[in-house]
Amino acid sequence: MSKIENKSENGSMEGAGEGTGGDPKDDKGLGLGVIFFMVAFLVCFLSGWLLFPKLLYSKREQPFNFDHVLHTSEAGDCETCHFLREDGTFSGMPNLASCMECHTDEPMGETEDEAIFAREYVAKEKEVPWFIYSKQPDCVFFSHAAHINAAGMECKTCHGPIGESTTSRPYEENRITGYSRDIWGKNIWGIKKHSWDRMKMDDCAACHKEETGHQGYCFQCHK
Amino acid sequence: MIQDKKAHKFGMVIDLDKCTGCGSCMVSCMSENNVPFKEDESRKKDSITWMRVYKLTNGKSFPDTQVVYMPRPCQHCSGKGGHGHSPCVSVCPATATDYGYDTGIVSQIYTRCFGCRYCMGACPYHARYFNWWDPKWPEGMEKYLSPNVSPRMRGVVEKCSFCYHRYQLARERAYGDGRDGIEESEYQTACTTACPAGAIVFGDLNDPSHMVHQIVKPDPHPDPMNKHVVDKSRNPKVFRLLERLGTNTKIYYLSEREWVRKAGDNYLDGEWDKVKNHHGSSSHE
Amino acid sequence: MKVDRRSFLGLGLGAVAGVVVSPVGLKLTDDSSIWTQNWPWTPVPIDGEISYDSSVCNLCPGNCGISVRKIAGRPVKIEGLGGYPVNDGGVCLHGISGLQYLYDPSRVRTPLRKNGDIFEAISWEEAISHTAGKLADIRKSDAPQKLACITDKTQGSVTGLFQRFLTAFGSPNLYAMPSLESNLELTAQTLHGSGNTLGFDLENSDFVLSFGAGLIEGWGSPVNCFKANASRKERHCVLYQVEPRLSNTAATADKWIPVNPGTEADLALGICAVMIKNTLFDAANFKAGFAKFAAMVQIEYSLDKVAQTCGINPGEIEKIASLFAKAKRPVAVPGKGRGESGQNLKEFAAVHTLNCLAGNLNKSGGVFIMAQASDLSFPEAVMDDVAELGAGQEKMAGSVNDLVEKINAAEKPVVDALFVYNANPCYSLSAPERVRQAFKKIPFVVSFSSFLDETAMEADVILPISTFLERMEDVPSQAGLAKKIIGLMRPVIKPVFDTKDPGDALILLANALEGTIAESFAWESYAECLESVTGDNWSSLSEEGHVVISEGAPEGVPDVDFTFLATNPSTVQAQGEFELTLIPVDNIHLTGAALTVSPFALKTVCDRVLTGTDIVVEINPATAKGLKDYGDAILTTPVGEARVKVSFNEGIMPGVIGMVRGLGHTFDNKFVSNKGVNVNDLIGPVVESGSGLDAAFGIKAKISKA
Repeated sequence: MSKIENKSENGSMEGAGEGTGGDPKDDKGLGLGVIFFMVAFLVCFLSGWLLFPKLLYSKREQPFNFDHVLHTSEAGDCETCHFLREDGTFSGMPNLASCMECHTDEPMGETEDEAIFAREYVAKEKEVPWFIYSKQPDCVFFSHAAHINAAGMECKTCHGPIGESTTSRPYEENRITGYSRDIWGKNIWGIKKHSWDRMKMDDCAACHKEETGHQGYCFQCHK
Repeated sequence: MIQDKKAHKFGMVIDLDKCTGCGSCMVSCMSENNVPFKEDESRKKDSITWMRVYKLTNGKSFPDTQVVYMPRPCQHCSGKGGHGHSPCVSVCPATATDYGYDTGIVSQIYTRCFGCRYCMGACPYHARYFNWWDPKWPEGMEKYLSPNVSPRMRGVVEKCSFCYHRYQLARERAYGDGRDGIEESEYQTACTTACPAGAIVFGDLNDPSHMVHQIVKPDPHPDPMNKHVVDKSRNPKVFRLLERLGTNTKIYYLSEREWVRKAGDNYLDGEWDKVKNHHGSSSHE
Repeated sequence: MKVDRRSFLGLGLGAVAGVVVSPVGLKLTDDSSIWTQNWPWTPVPIDGEISYDSSVCNLCPGNCGISVRKIAGRPVKIEGLGGYPVNDGGVCLHGISGLQYLYDPSRVRTPLRKNGDIFEAISWEEAISHTAGKLADIRKSDAPQKLACITDKTQGSVTGLFQRFLTAFGSPNLYAMPSLESNLELTAQTLHGSGNTLGFDLENSDFVLSFGAGLIEGWGSPVNCFKANASRKERHCVLYQVEPRLSNTAATADKWIPVNPGTEADLALGICAVMIKNTLFDAANFKAGFAKFAAMVQIEYSLDKVAQTCGINPGEIEKIASLFAKAKRPVAVPGKGRGESGQNLKEFAAVHTLNCLAGNLNKSGGVFIMAQASDLSFPEAVMDDVAELGAGQEKMAGSVNDLVEKINAAEKPVVDALFVYNANPCYSLSAPERVRQAFKKIPFVVSFSSFLDETAMEADVILPISTFLERMEDVPSQAGLAKKIIGLMRPVIKPVFDTKDPGDALILLANALEGTIAESFAWESYAECLESVTGDNWSSLSEEGHVVISEGAPEGVPDVDFTFLATNPSTVQAQGEFELTLIPVDNIHLTGAALTVSPFALKTVCDRVLTGTDIVVEINPATAKGLKDYGDAILTTPVGEARVKVSFNEGIMPGVIGMVRGLGHTFDNKFVSNKGVNVNDLIGPVVESGSGLDAAFGIKAKISKA
């Protein structure tokens, strides 16, 4: 009460200063608000960056480990198992029959992985339920022949140096969309270092634009 | 926009004197493109038939009645002047449909469409269909679906795509062989191959070696009577539907009968006589 | 430190700001939009290697070669087989829909046995042993001839096996449903002697005079006819179509000649009279009865009489006769619509007589008289005394229709057991209600069918048969094709359900009956049987998928016997006293005979034929008194009554009502059943004396606003 009376008596300047200055208690509240703001901001920001990917992606191992280096040295390069058929379509993931061109239900090597393969799959004539890292939605039409033959691209430009791996990395699947983490990219921001880090439409479009001068018409890549 | 001298312009000529109205084209299209079916398909406003055969009559009474059947797929309009502004493409708010300058084919991308149906309103030919309900196949029948065409969900518009997936596969085969171009016989739509009477001819209107070009003889110059119209046929037996709108469709129809050609548009008294003998310019490309 | 509203605000704002600036917002937006496009119930067809299998379709007697595209071994599309001698790449809408038959959810998946009113699923062993038990009882009763069998045709190895089974069992009672082929055979027999059939070389003709033949509605080998029609203009071939209604064939013809329903034979004979009067014929090889015929026809089928009967101008008749006779390669084609049911011998014979007069027999563009040599060689059936006695008896009826009449007329069962294969008489014969009654009187009915159609519903045991995509069979050409070809139907997929080849089912049944019947079926499997009975043709069949037995005009000119027509058999009339005439209409979109229409094909049916569940009939507005276009009406005939919608159509004669065949199915399939009316329910049989055919081409009717 007295302060106000003082204000009106002492003149506008003082009053103004006191008026805007506010309560020392308010100062503390604002400060708390700011602190809370910064804390909350930091927590949420970091959760979004670090915790969110862990929650978003499920992690599963492949049915058993597949050693690419071993197979490229024993059987041949990428095209031996992942080849273009006569009609130009891509064979994709090899089926049991192609593996059985070399493998039987008796393991050839000493690894536990091959033993699992021979026992659970070859002997039971069951297809191996591989998780496919590069699986695209049904609306996508991708022609390997156009990119390998006509554009002369290398497998690893889009798929990474998978042929140089001895282990199959775990398959991380987005719980909401059902697609592999490889599509959006390992980096939650969608920032990529290598050309194979991301396989979304914008990545295809960017490369098309660079190589052909045009992003491409819708029907070129969709069905 | 690519303006490629070697751009294709895929189109069709349908001989209405050979068409028997049998509907093989309709069924072949539905089978090829994973088109669903419902219990009651007699409600033609929501019956999805990318290719639809219409029955037209000359309006005369017995015994002078005549009837003709007209298969109508999507016309793949190239819009006024042929610049790619098809009526449906011009109105789509989601860019779910797009004019391909390399092929002349109007695409329809289901994942982008959110079902506003503006394109259906814009299309003069009723060539677009809406999935009011989720397509459902009886148990077991989804095994016959083709992976080359994406099955749709509800709320999405669909239409004839000139069997674009066949073009994709033909080009893929060509790349596999190390070739760049494809032959006329390598890319034919499902309706064309199914027609038991051979009434449908499909090919590249820009390619003089293709049969469709030889029958239609399209005139690339704008029509002096209507500057929005291009590629008017020089063949006096050939006409397009609602040609005067300037939609510049790729589906040409052929008939010896004048009343059939007249049925291609709505003519007021006296209008038909002015245009019936006008068939593109006599100059050659 | 007080935690108040501002701090909460700060917390909230901070959290929001943190989230917005973090990748969560962007990622979740992208993810949710993808989520909304990938509902789990939207099918994602599995991709795989593309392969093509060739086969031959046998859904109708057309014998078209088909190419089936498969993805990872799964059939996804049926198309015509390029280069196949019948259809060269073309295919009809029913063939393309074949996959809908394969995966029809209302298919019979295992053998069924009727228990009271419902069907119970049983195993094949049980079904075979139960059936064998019943059949063995019939043999013990010493009347094995009371086992009868109804099939679709008289040719092919499967019919051969049914015939063989009956013979070894001791019964002569094998009946084939009426078909264009059976009508053509009867005609050939009447005019040229038995053992022949007729082939129409339409693709080389220059003047086709068709008496209602639905050349583009499914007559004959449909795709072959479509192609012949499509090439007409280039070949300068003229088509004249005689029928009461503007069918698609009439619409594409150079001239449509409307005539009163059921008067086609009169017109044909009228034209014969003109040709004979003006000596516009060549009498080569005319044998018995020509003089009598010539005399009769000029009196009874004079211009005035025929003009009056048919409702056309006398001048018109003369003009047609002149054009027909003067054409270089004329051909006259009989068989209203598909030429299957409601046909009569007088009409077929009269139309064919035009061919005989024109001298086009065994000439390019004309009619080929094709000898029916059997291309299959079955070894003799092994018969015991019971079989010898039974099989040596006279057949108890002259046709399926006759059999039904005899069963209904008799008090005690005339037939003790019946096999039905690839036929649906409880739907496709006239007045099918009486057929169902007859079936109810047969103590034991076995249906060899994978579809629970009207006939199968009357069965006691159902032995489900694999569809045409799941099995192998020889497919002989028929139905007026001018070449003789045998196609090999091959499986493109293993049977989806627990179904068998009909041949394998018969082998199992024969083995269960033991004795001489089992000895007559000494093959391990039907596949083995087929290979052996096709003999020399097998290598061509198995390698090429077909074998051409004959093509081109046969040698020589056959004799022509005019006795039948010379007696001037009476023209069948439409039953009843009402004013209008109801005629059934064959249309390519719907199917005839045993095959039911598929959902895809039904989608192509115009809403002026079927609206919701209402069938729409056609009537000329001139005779539609009191009716509204597209309004409801009650259609009444002496046989029945139906609620219909009416469509005004200038393309049908005044006084005639047209109703399509192929609707009104009543079995359990929500896509194709309980739509419209079965036109056969409104038409009763009218038997043509002499031939025994049910010649009801229509019936008198009245129609009034509902």
